[in-house]
Amino acid sequence: MNGVLAIFQKEIANYFRSPIAYFIVAVFLLGTGYFFIYNVFLSGSATMDTTLQNMGILLLTVAPAITMRLFSAEYNGRTIELLMTLPLRKWEIVIGKYLGAVFVFLVMTLTTCINLIPLILYGNPDALSIVSGYVGFVLLGLACIAIGQFFSALTENQIVAALVTWPVLLGFWFVGQFKAFQQTAFLRSLSDYLSFNGHYGDFLRGLIRSEGVVFYLSVAAIALILNTVYLQGKR
Amino acid sequence: MNSDEPLIALDSVSKRYGSKEIIHDISFDVKRGEIVGFLGPNGAGKTTTMKMISGFTAATSGTVKVAGFDMAQDNLEGARRLGYLPEHPPLYEVLDVTSYLKFVAKVKQIPNHKMRSEIDRAISSCQLEAVTTREIFKLSKGYRQRVGLAQALIGDPDVLLLDEPTAGLDPGQIQETREVIRSFSENHAVLLSTHILPEVTLICKRIAIINQGRVLAVDSPAALQAASEQTSNVSADVSGSIDDIKREIESIDGVNNTRAIPVSGQSQHYKIECQVEARDDIEADIAKAVTGAGNLHSLVRQQPSLENVFLKYVSESKSNSEVDK
Repeated sequence: MNGVLAIFQKEIANYFRSPIAYFIVAVFLLGTGYFFIYNVFLSGSATMDTTLQNMGILLLTVAPAITMRLFSAEYNGRTIELLMTLPLRKWEIVIGKYLGAVFVFLVMTLTTCINLIPLILYGNPDALSIVSGYVGFVLLGLACIAIGQFFSALTENQIVAALVTWPVLLGFWFVGQFKAFQQTAFLRSLSDYLSFNGHYGDFLRGLIRSEGVVFYLSVAAIALILNTVYLQGKR
Repeated sequence: MNSDEPLIALDSVSKRYGSKEIIHDISFDVKRGEIVGFLGPNGAGKTTTMKMISGFTAATSGTVKVAGFDMAQDNLEGARRLGYLPEHPPLYEVLDVTSYLKFVAKVKQIPNHKMRSEIDRAISSCQLEAVTTREIFKLSKGYRQRVGLAQALIGDPDVLLLDEPTAGLDPGQIQETREVIRSFSENHAVLLSTHILPEVTLICKRIAIINQGRVLAVDSPAALQAASEQTSNVSADVSGSIDDIKREIESIDGVNNTRAIPVSGQSQHYKIECQVEARDDIEADIAKAVTGAGNLHSLVRQQPSLENVFLKYVSESKSNSEVDK
């Protein structure tokens, strides 16, 4: 566990001692603020659900920016040689890095809570649906970051890592739309089940369903396991 | 483990990338208290071998053991006993020197109460006191190299693997770095790769010469020199009757190809060069012969330099491989 902690601290230092984390948080906050003003003030309804829906789509773009450096930068800076030869298990490297990226994501998520202040001051929002919406958003983020981290392990080019992650995340988001074109019931339910958007919708409606929780956590776990296996095979 | 057991042991190790074999069946070992120089031209396979010992890449066949642990299996145990400075120092640019070393110390599981002293020890042995709070991307090449070395020293590992540790340093720093390595070797095993010849003669107990993925020779510098050339050259400054002197010298057993070159501007002064067989008292015989017929001003026996030894092995392996083709 010491290894996980050391890697985690190093990742945090790497994010916050360079402009990346600040830039990502700023861009995300700016985008969320725009959606919030548009959805709440122009429509006059004191809910977060449309804003959270927009935040989900925005996250598909921002998550690759958080994860693209995780392994690519190690390959590029040749520090991977240090990581792989220090007394660290491969899963410790993967989990430590994952937690570091998740930390940045959580900081980013937390800053968007500033939008709740005017909502509570001037409206009467449904607290439960806001809470479940944020739970859904965090779960969505956990899955997106694990996928992005896996693709970062495949290339030493950060841009390539981001450009590959992005369409994959978009694919998971829109896969539910293919439901209408499927002939068999199995494919219809599969495209429904794989849809990031579909499960996210449940959370936005105020439903924390175990199916959704298990789905996002499974996606994250599978990506992290693939990441570990890839590193083990890399020797 | 047995204290005589080598800390680094390679047993018929080969490495293949696709169909291309980079390392062919190499075997050698490094014992405690030894500095072994790994000498070869660029592209000989030094770095690949280092990477296999460090556990970064796996050997295609053969076994690599560090402190008795097979790096193909127990590489976590091996890694705990290993300090490794790769060819390019693996540095996290945005961290400052102390945070970077702290990261390495934490991963190497240095207990908290020893952390400070361990980092200070690495900092002082690599003379990094002036830059401890500086971010690594702001450091000069020499400092970067030394931060990489400091990282390898953390945790006082049994085995130190250094891939061209003095590259990019100025002469003063090179000397200091050699001192660090020498002082470290007393109770540890050090394998040091380099293509700088004087470096190995100065600090290494044994040398492994590698070229085109094959280890050509492993021995002490002196033994390699002795083995590589059966004859050496003697040159002498003499004055007097050159014909007599030459005749006297040529009458000695084991002296060939005597040449006398007049020294310009001084009559009766000559420089004599001859080839001699490797025999211990041959200089004394030559001195006696010269003084019987004239005056001897100086006498030098030139040992084959390590450079010649190295070139000899490398060119031999080249011509052998051409024959193979």
